[in-house]
Amino acid sequence: MSRMEPIMPQLRVATPPQGATRTQAPAAKVSARAISVFYGDKQALFDVSLDMPEKSVTALIGPSGCGKSTFLRSINRMNDTIPNCRVTGEVLIDGQDVNARDVDPVLLRAQVGMVFQKPNPFPKSVFDNVAYGVRLHGLAGSRANLQQIVESSLQKAGLWDEVKDRLNAPGMSLSGGQQQRLVIARAIAVNPDIILMDEPCSALDPIATAKVEELIDELKANYCIVIVTHSMAQAARVSQQTAFFHLGKLVETGPTETIFTNPRESRTQDYITGRFG
Amino acid sequence: MTEHTVRSFSQDLEELSGDLARMGGLAEDMLSDAIQAIAARDLVLAETVVSRDPQIDALQVEVEKKILRLLALRQPLARDLRQVISALKIATELERVGDLAKSIAKRVKLVDKIGAISALKGVARMGRLVTAQLKRVLDAYTALETDAASKVWARDEEVDEHYQSLFREVVTYMIEDPRTISACAHLLFVAKNLERIGDHCTNIAEEIHFLVTGEQLPTERPKVDALNSN
Repeated sequence: MSRMEPIMPQLRVATPPQGATRTQAPAAKVSARAISVFYGDKQALFDVSLDMPEKSVTALIGPSGCGKSTFLRSINRMNDTIPNCRVTGEVLIDGQDVNARDVDPVLLRAQVGMVFQKPNPFPKSVFDNVAYGVRLHGLAGSRANLQQIVESSLQKAGLWDEVKDRLNAPGMSLSGGQQQRLVIARAIAVNPDIILMDEPCSALDPIATAKVEELIDELKANYCIVIVTHSMAQAARVSQQTAFFHLGKLVETGPTETIFTNPRESRTQDYITGRFG
Repeated sequence: MTEHTVRSFSQDLEELSGDLARMGGLAEDMLSDAIQAIAARDLVLAETVVSRDPQIDALQVEVEKKILRLLALRQPLARDLRQVISALKIATELERVGDLAKSIAKRVKLVDKIGAISALKGVARMGRLVTAQLKRVLDAYTALETDAASKVWARDEEVDEHYQSLFREVVTYMIEDPRTISACAHLLFVAKNLERIGDHCTNIAEEIHFLVTGEQLPTERPKVDALNSN
């Protein structure tokens, strides 16, 4: 792929709006172009191209080992941290290749927040967990400003009312669902454009799951969200676009409604109806 | 299609198909017997049609219960979801066909009071056509053949034409001999019921198309309107 590639997102923007539903042709925030990932000699991802629109949730589904998490991690260069891991192809965020030499992965990961399967608050207070990235990137001008950022992040994460009286309590003292929302608040605090979630609810009970899903629904008004999930029902509930991965390949992508009512590919059909042997 | 990893899910779906096949068989028999009873003015046969209707009603209730359970416990998706939803709707269509067949059978004794009129033959002819439509659409459902279903769907025009000409014919008899008005009115209801059964067949054909392709047939079907053509 050449450096001419950014033409693509521009073309998309130039497409006249269709006036129909907004989800029909939203601008691609993230464009993966022919992504392949190798762990040593083993190829884990084959030539995956996928557009992830802004202000929208894209769900990545597929059986374990299908490459969906590997794909997710290629968006914020988390694969860089794995020895022997090699990524080819391009990931464009607003037309800019994240793998370009002049991109600082630390700054990239502030722009692209990530939430993991198990909540991973730092062994610090609730306040300091959220303030951590803000301080690291020097985003707050003053103490008052920092407090304001922490409060609004916790509010956006739907956690403020539950923790406002114990901001100095350890983050680890919160319940699992609260910890997961704390981690989301921490990701939001550094003002990202994109939030990646790798099975964010698989360690949570149904009520905490519902709260996180409700939060995802609210966050999509401002962010491009990409979520890996093993729960078909969750993918159906929270996402507007669904991509089905199998054996390292992107099999099918489309509007979530279509994927779950009338998928084109028989492999997608078999997976979502529980027919994979 | 391959089996579900959870085999009891496949069994649930098969059971549902079995229930619908039973309902279809019952509806088909009730309809053809009702038509035979009208044509031969066989009151005994008509009575058996009426007495069979509760079976089809009970099956519909059973199917609805099973589908409710299936939706709650299995959360079917994609084709499975379409299969379950179309089964729910087809069960309703078949229950209605049973009701209409019963209604036809109930009128046998009312039509019986008058002498043989040739309109009875016309009703029997239309009845055979509708019975054939029902049989074809049920076969298409069993085999999941969209082509066969589309043919049934298109052929409803013929049923409508039959109804229209029968309507004219019966009205003529009423004008010719006012003593037959009461019986002829019942005959018109029989014809109307047959026309309605034809519509239920096209609804089933639409469900088959949706089940197999995930898409709807066009809502507009070529239609002959007896009210406008008079």
